[in-house]
Amino acid sequence: MNDIERRSSAAAEPPATLAAPMDVHAELDDLRATIDDRLVAASSLDELDKVEAETIGRRSRVAELRRGLGALDPDVRRLTGLAINDAVAELSVKIETRRRSLEDEAEGERFAAEKVDVTLPGRVPRRGTYHLVQQVMDEIIDIFVAIGFTVASGPEAETDWHNFTALNIPKTHPARADSDTLYLDYGDEDESVLLRTQTSPMQVRYMQQHEPPVYVVSPGRVFRRDEVDPTHTPVFHQLEGLAVDSDITFADLKGTLAYFVHQFFGPNQRVRFVPNYFPFTEPSAEMHASCFNCDGSGCRVCGSSGWIEMLGCGMVNPRVFEAVGYDPTEVTGWAFGMGVDRFAQGRHGIADLRYFWDGDVRVLEQFQ
Amino acid sequence: MKVPLSWLREFVELPDDSDAVAAALEQLGHEVESVEVLRPQFSGCVVGRVEQIVPHPDADRLRVVTVTTGDEQRTVVCGAWNFSEGDVVVVSPPGATLAGGFEVGQRAIRGVDSPGMICSERELGLSDEHEGILVLEDDTPLGADFSDLSGLPDVVFDLSITASRPDAMGVVGVARDLAAYFDTPLHVAGSHVEERGEDAAVTVHLDDPDGCPRFTAREVRDVSIGPSPLWMRQRLRACGVRPINNVVDATNYVMLELGHPSHAFDMDRLGETVVVRRAREGEVLRTLDGVDRVLDPADLVVADGGNAVAIAGVMGGETTEVDESTTRVIIEVAYFDPPTVMFGAKRHGLHTEASFRFQRGMDPAMPRIVNDRVATLLEDHAGGIPAPEIFDAYPKTIEPWQVTLPLSEVSRVLGAEIARPTVVSYLERLGFGVSADGDVLVVTVPTRRPDVTMAVDLIEELARLHGYDNFPNTVSMGNGGGIAPDLRRTRRLREVMVGAGFHEAMTYSFTGPADLDRLEVPADDQRRQTVALSNALSDEQPWLRTTILTGLLQAASNNASRRVDSIALFEVGKVFLATPDAEGLPTQPDHLAFVIAGTADSGWFGSGRDPDVLDALGIVDLIGSTMRVPLRRRTVTASGWHPSRAAEILDPDGTPIGMAGELHPRVADAWGLRGPVVAGELDIAVFLEPQPRWEFVSPSNYPPVINDVAFEVDAGITAASVLAAARSGAGPLLEDARIFDVFEGDPLPAGAKSIAIRLTFRAGDRTLTDDEVGDIRREMVAAVAAATGARLRGEIT
Repeated sequence: MNDIERRSSAAAEPPATLAAPMDVHAELDDLRATIDDRLVAASSLDELDKVEAETIGRRSRVAELRRGLGALDPDVRRLTGLAINDAVAELSVKIETRRRSLEDEAEGERFAAEKVDVTLPGRVPRRGTYHLVQQVMDEIIDIFVAIGFTVASGPEAETDWHNFTALNIPKTHPARADSDTLYLDYGDEDESVLLRTQTSPMQVRYMQQHEPPVYVVSPGRVFRRDEVDPTHTPVFHQLEGLAVDSDITFADLKGTLAYFVHQFFGPNQRVRFVPNYFPFTEPSAEMHASCFNCDGSGCRVCGSSGWIEMLGCGMVNPRVFEAVGYDPTEVTGWAFGMGVDRFAQGRHGIADLRYFWDGDVRVLEQFQ
Repeated sequence: MKVPLSWLREFVELPDDSDAVAAALEQLGHEVESVEVLRPQFSGCVVGRVEQIVPHPDADRLRVVTVTTGDEQRTVVCGAWNFSEGDVVVVSPPGATLAGGFEVGQRAIRGVDSPGMICSERELGLSDEHEGILVLEDDTPLGADFSDLSGLPDVVFDLSITASRPDAMGVVGVARDLAAYFDTPLHVAGSHVEERGEDAAVTVHLDDPDGCPRFTAREVRDVSIGPSPLWMRQRLRACGVRPINNVVDATNYVMLELGHPSHAFDMDRLGETVVVRRAREGEVLRTLDGVDRVLDPADLVVADGGNAVAIAGVMGGETTEVDESTTRVIIEVAYFDPPTVMFGAKRHGLHTEASFRFQRGMDPAMPRIVNDRVATLLEDHAGGIPAPEIFDAYPKTIEPWQVTLPLSEVSRVLGAEIARPTVVSYLERLGFGVSADGDVLVVTVPTRRPDVTMAVDLIEELARLHGYDNFPNTVSMGNGGGIAPDLRRTRRLREVMVGAGFHEAMTYSFTGPADLDRLEVPADDQRRQTVALSNALSDEQPWLRTTILTGLLQAASNNASRRVDSIALFEVGKVFLATPDAEGLPTQPDHLAFVIAGTADSGWFGSGRDPDVLDALGIVDLIGSTMRVPLRRRTVTASGWHPSRAAEILDPDGTPIGMAGELHPRVADAWGLRGPVVAGELDIAVFLEPQPRWEFVSPSNYPPVINDVAFEVDAGITAASVLAAARSGAGPLLEDARIFDVFEGDPLPAGAKSIAIRLTFRAGDRTLTDDEVGDIRREMVAAVAAATGARLRGEIT
């Protein structure tokens, strides 16, 4: 069966030409001599495949010669076979070299066709921004949380008692006037309800709900009946801080707020404290920081004084402790309150506070 | 409050450098709002006397004036008529310069040589006064350099005096603080009033000693009204007060100097009886500003025998006003009860320099001293003769009070020791009396300091003089409360929104009927249960907001009108509902709202697309998954929303927490927004609750089997119910199931829709076989069919 098969398969192939060994060598030499020209002439991978098939492929003359080896003397067969193998190896290397070169060319053309102008805008995933005031508020919160403070929030519609009375603000105080405070048509007559004018009522609430020690900051919206102008909006944000313990001093107030300024603006920011008056603190102070715009030499931002008013602060008035049921002989405390919007406005040179409330996307998208 | 440095120097020795004085004022708590440097705008001007005035030969309106400056005479042409021979004036010879850089030359006016000028205040740059020549006091030395008399140059500090320091609302009060700061004496000379003539005719009835604990009145006769001297006018102007005449100016001058207001009545108009009482019902007074004011029975007034002539401590009346014809005045200086004045001023909307001071609390020890000071000024500058003797009603003397200060309190509050002698020195410099009881100081507080009633008030005084910056800085370390979980979760919520492409906006907390109408909020909706402001800022927004959407839609509208095309905004904040909370305050839930309008994602690579309901629902899904709160949705038809493209959002308990979807086109239109506008608003309370810790599932290393199915269901069946049935029917080997295609119409029959789902199966411990998945799939299809009546349409592979 093997014989039959082999014979039939041999019959299917082109008949082997029985050539003399010397003719074989001549043919191989001829192939070697012409291959370079043929490869150069092959200008595509398809043409190269054709050259390969014609020269060393299964149906090539070389393959034919190889099939004819069987008819030769063993010695001659061996030498002729080696010569064919050498020639095929040499041709293969040349063909492969040419193939790589043609492939590189083709790839280069493809890449060239895929060219994109990399200066075009990218396809940017849509991402929003946090409101600047919120960013600043969060930054400040984190600075205080890092030194062990907690964060509390409270109602914006607040009782008169929490907003004023408990904070030692007398009934006759001008801040209580209709012209300054937004009152609500709500509740009974004994206790008016209002929109908190400061975050300080949170001090009161927090102390009512917690025994000392207290270390808390409280951010939020506050409301004043201000006419709208570039530096006033009727709704704005404050952040309140309060520390109450058995040994809190004015030095702690100063040091902690200086720490805050250095964290927020950088360690080179100088601070100073000058006396001021708030009903709920005594002594009271205002903290100034060297102007972040001109570093204290005086400019438009700081009104040429070199200093920026940062916040009001002081030692908690004993009357406030009494109002919340703390014993002022047992504890002392400091408190501060700052306007966040103006802080953000100053730090970023925002011309008009109204930009914060308008929702203009061209403004908001700057708050990266 | 404006304070000239030259005036301060009258009472206290101060550093030459005005910056050092400003710095001291800041350290004392008197904020320097501005510093104004006043410089003379003239030079080379000298004092001269008018010797002779003759008419100009060629001009009726001009005169030829001969002046002497002592050793030199000159003749000048002058167009003013307010002076006469013998008057002392300011002469500017050729070479002198006047305001505006004008150089005086030698020229001829209508043919008469005029070597120099005599000057008006405006020409000298002292004021805008140009009606006449500046006439100086008769005793001004001739030939003197006018710059020595003008009080210039000077420095004026504009101070912000805190409400707690009424005692510092005058030059002397500020000087007292500076004297204490620099540890140098304060020089305030007393006034000696030369009383002459018959006893005063005036009688005073102090009927209301509660409203007016002290009242002084002095009669001054033979007053001759005229301008006050230049130096006084200059000081008044430097302080921002317009000079009127020598009587009114004297009362203003003393108020600026000593801080305490006084008032001068024309006695010929007032009569001889003065009554201090409350106003009668319906009593009317025309105040100095020309307004007829109907008085309230709570108003304290000064009255003559019959009618009110002044609202006490607030403003005088027109009928008794001092004018050019006045010859006899009564000087009133009182101590009025601060709340009485405050409420009076408030009732009449009359906030004057006087009411401002009285309502903060003047010194009851001062009225006599102030009255004497005014009287001496009238003697010196208005020819007045004070009659014997002053009326001083002070039925119940307000005594200085005592505050005890344990020395240990000083370091307990301030965090630093201040040596005892230093403490005593600080207090005494400020005029406090100090005695000691062991380690407790007993401090007597002068009546000018109503702000000092407690030990801490004294401690503030010590800190002020010690210098706030001279205390150490130590940092308070808290007890580690950290960020509360609800705040942390609120931050996370905002992070989701920002990451999803929304800009965080802030809008006012107010709304109004028009806003809610535009949002088509129905009458019976909870959002109509608003809380109203008693004194709203605007008629359009008289209520507290019950929804954040109105604010965001307004913001979107603002953007659209500015042709900003891609709008995605969110806000987290409180809304206010009328329902009272446990404390009786309005309920104030925190909401998240968002709005998307305009085209998104456009660029050179594509034209973008309009937002649709799925954008809104996708955000809600993202919030739910990020916050780990499985939310549900319900189809609703809600006013203001697209009737078939909005969903009610339910928390895991099935409680509605808000809406999301496409707004009704009418609503978008009401805010001027074109194209679909999608939005959502959620109560965020459910997201702030802590969630149970999630458990990790190790991902499988075996290959998945992916299987797509399409169901035909009734159009009324929700996608969520089909998906849920598929999930539960597919069992534990289902890794993921998602809807990838939904359609209605051909080839489906009417009323049916197709929902195609891609199911991913995977086991954690082996490669699934086709047979296994085939079984699961059959069970899943049966489960979906049972739950929803769905029919398998065929496989999509």
